[in-house]
Amino acid sequence: MEEREKPGVNKRNNGLSNYLFNPRLLVAIWSGKIIMKLTRILGRGGTTLPGRIALFFAPQISAGLASQLRKGSLIITGTNGKTTTTALINNILKETGYKCIHNQSGSNLTWGVASTLIESASWLGKLHEDWAVIEVDEGSFPEVTKSVNPRGIVVTNIFRDQLDRFGEIDHIQNSIKKGMELLPESSFKAINADDPSLAGIQPQEQKNIIYYGLELDSPSYPFQNTGRDIKTCPLCSKVLAYNKLYYAHLGHYYCPSCSYRRPEPEIKLTGYQVTSTNSSELKLNVAGKSFKTTVPLLGTYNLYNILAAVACARGLEIPLNIIATALQKAVPSFGRMEQFHYKEKNIIMALVKNPVGANEVLRTILNQEGKIDLLIAINDNIADGTDISWLWDVDFEQLLKHQERLNNITVSGIRAWDMAVRLKYAGLDSGKIEVEENLHRALHLSLQYTKPNGKLFILPNYTAMLEMHKDLNRLGLGKSYWDREAINK
Amino acid sequence: MRTINIYHLYPGYLNLYGDRGNILALYQRAYRRGINVNIIGVDPGGKIDLGHCDLLFMGGGQDSDQKLVAEDLKKRDRDLKHAVENGMPILAVCGSYQLLGHYYTTVQGENIAGLEIIDLYTEPGRGRLIGNALVKCSLWEPPQTLAGFENHAGRTYLGPETKPLGKVIKGYGNNGSDKTEGAVYKNVIGTYLHGALLPKNPWMTDYLLQKALTYRHQDNHLEILDDFVEIQAHNTASRLAGLRRP
Repeated sequence: MEEREKPGVNKRNNGLSNYLFNPRLLVAIWSGKIIMKLTRILGRGGTTLPGRIALFFAPQISAGLASQLRKGSLIITGTNGKTTTTALINNILKETGYKCIHNQSGSNLTWGVASTLIESASWLGKLHEDWAVIEVDEGSFPEVTKSVNPRGIVVTNIFRDQLDRFGEIDHIQNSIKKGMELLPESSFKAINADDPSLAGIQPQEQKNIIYYGLELDSPSYPFQNTGRDIKTCPLCSKVLAYNKLYYAHLGHYYCPSCSYRRPEPEIKLTGYQVTSTNSSELKLNVAGKSFKTTVPLLGTYNLYNILAAVACARGLEIPLNIIATALQKAVPSFGRMEQFHYKEKNIIMALVKNPVGANEVLRTILNQEGKIDLLIAINDNIADGTDISWLWDVDFEQLLKHQERLNNITVSGIRAWDMAVRLKYAGLDSGKIEVEENLHRALHLSLQYTKPNGKLFILPNYTAMLEMHKDLNRLGLGKSYWDREAINK
Repeated sequence: MRTINIYHLYPGYLNLYGDRGNILALYQRAYRRGINVNIIGVDPGGKIDLGHCDLLFMGGGQDSDQKLVAEDLKKRDRDLKHAVENGMPILAVCGSYQLLGHYYTTVQGENIAGLEIIDLYTEPGRGRLIGNALVKCSLWEPPQTLAGFENHAGRTYLGPETKPLGKVIKGYGNNGSDKTEGAVYKNVIGTYLHGALLPKNPWMTDYLLQKALTYRHQDNHLEILDDFVEIQAHNTASRLAGLRRP
């Protein structure tokens, strides 16, 4: 398909010959690659150390490598949905016929991005892909934007997440704003129109903004306890009002006292139905043109991820039929409602890491029929966020209504006992909650409890997920994510 | 039947660090002893019927929310002070703890006037004080530890007569330098500890419940509960305190 030529991209390519023979860059790439091999031999999917070491030798490594991409890079940031949105965009680009690099969640900090680029580069420091589709942590967004000069960005939403690392929401918002200001003027910005904290970041007269949003009726379930993380108008600080509220603070908002309101989205979801095979049947509208597609992902949060990917594809002028086909082929990302089968038991793993995301996951799994086994695993390593107080903002009270369907609940991880207290104070019988801090033993315990044809839902936070994923690999289930990557290529 | 009315300010605004957990802990531990609990959420501008309130809980908020709330609370500070002098218990965590003092200066240099309930003030410092913390608290006999998580940019300094909630064993506390954490005046408790604080420090929860019962002239006897799970969570948090810094 036709691509608009970006003068900036060519200019950088010309200057590259100097860069390629820069010994510092080569040293950085080699040390990064060697450490990557070593950590994998040791059985770890190390994404931090290689990048850190490479950045130590050549702080400009990401810029140097990204400038070689034939088309350029795309950045996906925001609190929830980055990984799934990145995977969906990757699918669409592949369907179009492009070769892409994309990073895995957990490697979305500055050094993780460097690791991903180094991994794809040859030992001579060359990259042969068209696109790099990069998910970037909100905190690293300005730095990565500055170094890779993206052709476009996607901002999914802002929620409370890992407060120990980011400080408060105001902080995250500032970081995203800073990143946007560093963007080349020609780059497009795909932005969630339903998130009042995002539309306010950009001055309305800004060009190249593609808004996306839901045009559905309000959901039937009542507004839950999570609270709206964003309550006030970013322009005049008055409390926002809503015509429709989908979840948390996402919806059709307006300020009752000034002109601030949800911008009219160009990319809309106008129809949504869950099929008998657990897929979402969607009616989408892109700049006035409607089309239908069925995507094998569930949950309201995934509707936003799908829209975000479509908005990004719109920014790249990819035809609608290609978008629709690519979306049909979507598979759940690593640990996002990922399914496994073991001895006639169904295992479904869904990452939980903040109140809004966890509430949506709980709602989605409790919508399923039949008996449920649960394994909730909470670590508090740095990659998880060391503050686990968010557990108290998750509506575990939802479980109460389904008590008779709950076969067994096991809690695990470094903060297993905190999780046990959380469930006890949700009103569940604490005598029925198994506590096993060791993740490996907890997984086997839960599998024993799960009856044939039963469903075991594993809800881990980040590092607990990585560890249990390895355990599942040892049982012959799934693949480690670096192997998966190799297969995908 | 014994009844406690708990007012929660403002559930939609000051609810940053799992503050709902504190309300849940108060509710569950009262409920298990057959004490009836009414939880009344108040929004900014809404009415706090102080004649009806037995325990006031205020959580943490972001700077932008805190400003809004401070303005609103200022309008009712005379009634609030009156109730405090009569012994009404208050638990204020993090952002609202800062509001109990004379003033709070944000990192941006903005001055937010406090309620002047406790003699203390808060100023910005370099870097946030973040991590698991452990504090020795002598509000009850024998003294017991409080385990929680702190995350604050403000440094709070207590007036010469102000009693701290406890002594820092591990972590930063009020300001990272004088080893004090939180503050107490009559039955008002301010603290930087969240996590949430009350669920894994059940002795603190029971202390507040007893104060609330006494304030309303009710029998304050609390039967002993099985706290095995809570104590395990307390011990985990105590072990982690001071070990890791993000």
